Amino acid sequence: MKDDTLRKEYDVIVIGGGATGAGTARDCAMRGLKTILIERLDFTAGATGRNHGLLHSGARYAHTDPESAAECIKENMILKRIAHHCIEETGGLFVSLPEDGLDYHAAFVEDCRKAGISAEELDPKEALRLEPSVNPDIIGAVKVPDGSVDPFRLTTANVMAAKMNGADVLTYQEVVGFLKEGTAITGVKLRSRRDGTEREIRGKVTINAAGIWGHRLAELAGVKLNMYPAKGSLLIFGHRINRMVLNRCRKPGDADILVPGDTICVIGTTSTRIPYDQIDNMEVTPEEVDLLLREGVKLSPAMAWTRILRAYAGVRPLVASDDDPTGRSISRGIVCIDHAKRDGLEGFITITGGKLMTYRLMAEEATDMACQKLGVNKECHTAEIPLPGSEDTAEDKKRRSHIIELSTEQKAAEDRHGTLTGKIVSDDDAADALVCECEQVSVGEVNYAIEELNVHNLVNLRRRTRLGMGTCQGELCACRGAGLLERHDKCTQRSLDDLASFLDERWHGMYPVCWGETLVEIQFTSWLYEGVCGLDPSEVNVSDNPTQH
Amino acid sequence: MKFDTIIIGGGLSGLISAIECARAGRKTAIVSAGQSALHFWSGSFELLGNVDGKAVIDNPLDLVPSLPAPHPYRKIGAERLRKLLSRVPEILKEAGLKSYGTLDRNHLRLTPLGFMKPAWLTLGDYVAVDADKPLPWKKVAIVNIYSYLDFYPRFLAHGLENRGVKCSMAAVNIPELNVLRKSTTEMRATNMSRFFTDEAVDHLAAEVNKVAGDADAVIMPAVLGIYSDAPVERFRKAVKMPVWFVPTTPASVPGVRCQLSLRDLFIRLGGEFLPGDTVKGGEFEGNRLKRIFTVNLGDMPLEADDFIISTGSFFGHGLIADIERIYEPVFGLDLNVKGGRTEWYEKDFYASQPYMTYGVITDDKFHPYKNGEEIENLYATGALLAGFNALKEGSGAGITLATALHAASCITE
Repeated sequence: MKDDTLRKEYDVIVIGGGATGAGTARDCAMRGLKTILIERLDFTAGATGRNHGLLHSGARYAHTDPESAAECIKENMILKRIAHHCIEETGGLFVSLPEDGLDYHAAFVEDCRKAGISAEELDPKEALRLEPSVNPDIIGAVKVPDGSVDPFRLTTANVMAAKMNGADVLTYQEVVGFLKEGTAITGVKLRSRRDGTEREIRGKVTINAAGIWGHRLAELAGVKLNMYPAKGSLLIFGHRINRMVLNRCRKPGDADILVPGDTICVIGTTSTRIPYDQIDNMEVTPEEVDLLLREGVKLSPAMAWTRILRAYAGVRPLVASDDDPTGRSISRGIVCIDHAKRDGLEGFITITGGKLMTYRLMAEEATDMACQKLGVNKECHTAEIPLPGSEDTAEDKKRRSHIIELSTEQKAAEDRHGTLTGKIVSDDDAADALVCECEQVSVGEVNYAIEELNVHNLVNLRRRTRLGMGTCQGELCACRGAGLLERHDKCTQRSLDDLASFLDERWHGMYPVCWGETLVEIQFTSWLYEGVCGLDPSEVNVSDNPTQH
Repeated sequence: MKFDTIIIGGGLSGLISAIECARAGRKTAIVSAGQSALHFWSGSFELLGNVDGKAVIDNPLDLVPSLPAPHPYRKIGAERLRKLLSRVPEILKEAGLKSYGTLDRNHLRLTPLGFMKPAWLTLGDYVAVDADKPLPWKKVAIVNIYSYLDFYPRFLAHGLENRGVKCSMAAVNIPELNVLRKSTTEMRATNMSRFFTDEAVDHLAAEVNKVAGDADAVIMPAVLGIYSDAPVERFRKAVKMPVWFVPTTPASVPGVRCQLSLRDLFIRLGGEFLPGDTVKGGEFEGNRLKRIFTVNLGDMPLEADDFIISTGSFFGHGLIADIERIYEPVFGLDLNVKGGRTEWYEKDFYASQPYMTYGVITDDKFHPYKNGEEIENLYATGALLAGFNALKEGSGAGITLATALHAASCITE
């Protein structure tokens, strides 16, 4: 990017390229604040890119946390308006198995209604008709407005909106220190993760939206924030088993949600507290895989014979209530801290807690606080103005699809980029050629992502386009993607290193489920790259930690 | 149906042993399920390219005694290996495939990503250079086909420039390919090769001549000559400087051609090729396999005096892994697998993966065992065998060919 970030003084520095940080940057920029978004790796590299992709109706929390439930359904309806190209309105079922009984079910329907969530009780036979993949032994079912949301797409759209409103965006820049004047934070010291260079950026207000990594940032700023990392593991299946989101109608537990999204479906999660120093080592254990499968087949028996593509894990940032240093009282709600009030540190705000569903609300709260500090009196419009890609309505899209017949790959691109699909160059047959056949990603789409969506490596490209996320897990497209990236980057050795690291990153999610076709696939991949292509680990630099891209 | 020899598996190993059995006058059949590892072949056969992480160039066979004990090369022995493998170029020639290389010294092949790797035999039109000499060109033109994505000129140039060769890069088109390009998935090597016949070859050569400038040689993706080398010959005559091919990512044109050529040779020698069929199992009498049953033939058995199983490793489906165990699906032969699924892999993708070494255990004559009992008229060959990591050793084709020839000679001698 143009490098005038050094000379500018920003109103707001937002740290963290997850949904919350991107949403906050968008909100700040829309309110006219001079904003910069900083991410130490890639957008969605943390918890945002490592969850179910569930568009909660709030029903999951209706019984245990009515306040969160009400927030969820409100944001659910907002996202359906402003981000419909990131969302699929699949609907969801809460089903009761004989072992669950019907006690929870009875209270559940009432709790949903109280929280404002439409909850329709269905006869189990009717539920089976709606969702043939559900366990036929169910004794009760409730239909709720759950759906699926693509967190990669959602975050990218927020970043784009921020940029369109004048924000600057930096990825692969890690905050290694803060600039201080007296009792105020006046900027950040950054170190590039790509070339190690350091720089300073000045800003009147700094917003810590770094999720679980915010704990460390706060420490760096000299204030204490008690966060407790909880690891959740999930499995991705090679195709959609279910049409609707399936939930167990019981107290939230392990492996009780199966979400269909894009070409796949996801079962999760587990929940384990992990030591803070392990937050960058996300690994799924064999015990977690067994647990997910054992519980998962109870929701949908087809899981037992469906190919598992990969396993992954994310960290929930649980925050201790502000005044409780023991950390015993954990809140899952939104925590927005003015460190001036709490710690006497001016110009520093932490926004954390919450969940993907409430990222926009979190952004709004943080931006309100920043505006207040800056003496800016501007209202928030993020709930009304659509995100880039969703400028039409879902109805427009439906109407258009009757007039224009799109090819499969055009449909796939439109699903991913919504109204921005027009930016994908498709002026000749060469641009339409498919790079990734599993996910129908064309040369034009890859070039668009490289040019406009902060793509530096194959993992970035995967997150923007789904390249390498399909059944072959990058086996045939990784090389093609590397070839196209190299044309832009022009550093061949770096492209080879990137290709080698990408294959290692794909393997990291495959080895926990390495049997059946997954083992077949990886053996083929090894023979192709190490064998035919001669990709020799001694001649390339493979990145140290496959989860840190 | 009764045969003298039945081979289960139509990959490189199965084809080679079948050819040798048929040549010796035995009534031979191959039951082949479908594609094999040949379909992503690089155009080079490796014998032993890497020992203890070091590239092997001179006298690879001298290193056989240092390989770990259950290794197939150890079972055959260096002397017999030399005798068996020296047959390979002749068999390839008979099938219409020219090759280059010697058992005494590995050469280097140029890989699609621009690396140089040791190899034993390389097809005539593919890059094979001496390991200790400078590359034979000062300047090469790397020419791709316009919009073809499985060939990487810049990676090749990077590799060649590191070895002191100047590179120019260009992409050419011929109108004949435009129809193929209309579909977004058709610009792949094997599809294109079907269009490169007669005048299309001349058109391509004319375009290449326009962009090659004063290069000493032209380097192109392996997209010509899927059925025979006639288009390649025609092309090489029409281009004003020598042309060398580099393999592409799958499906591989030299691989398909090699498979088809060997299959045709087998049929010419009177062999029976049963494609698209899968062996379900067999009946044993004592220590002998009497007959096998296939999906297509149902309860009609195939009988033979001798059988060879060369069904490959996991990607050939010669081995199957489920969440609890790994097994050989045709006969349930004994394997060298130890432990549950967490023992099968290393977390580093580039480490030597234990699963790569899994396979059927055999005696020194490659007779496999079932429930500890040796089956005396069954041979196991190729990637199905246990006890080596062919990927790390650079020994896949050598083991495949040597065990196939060994089994065939045991049956026919």
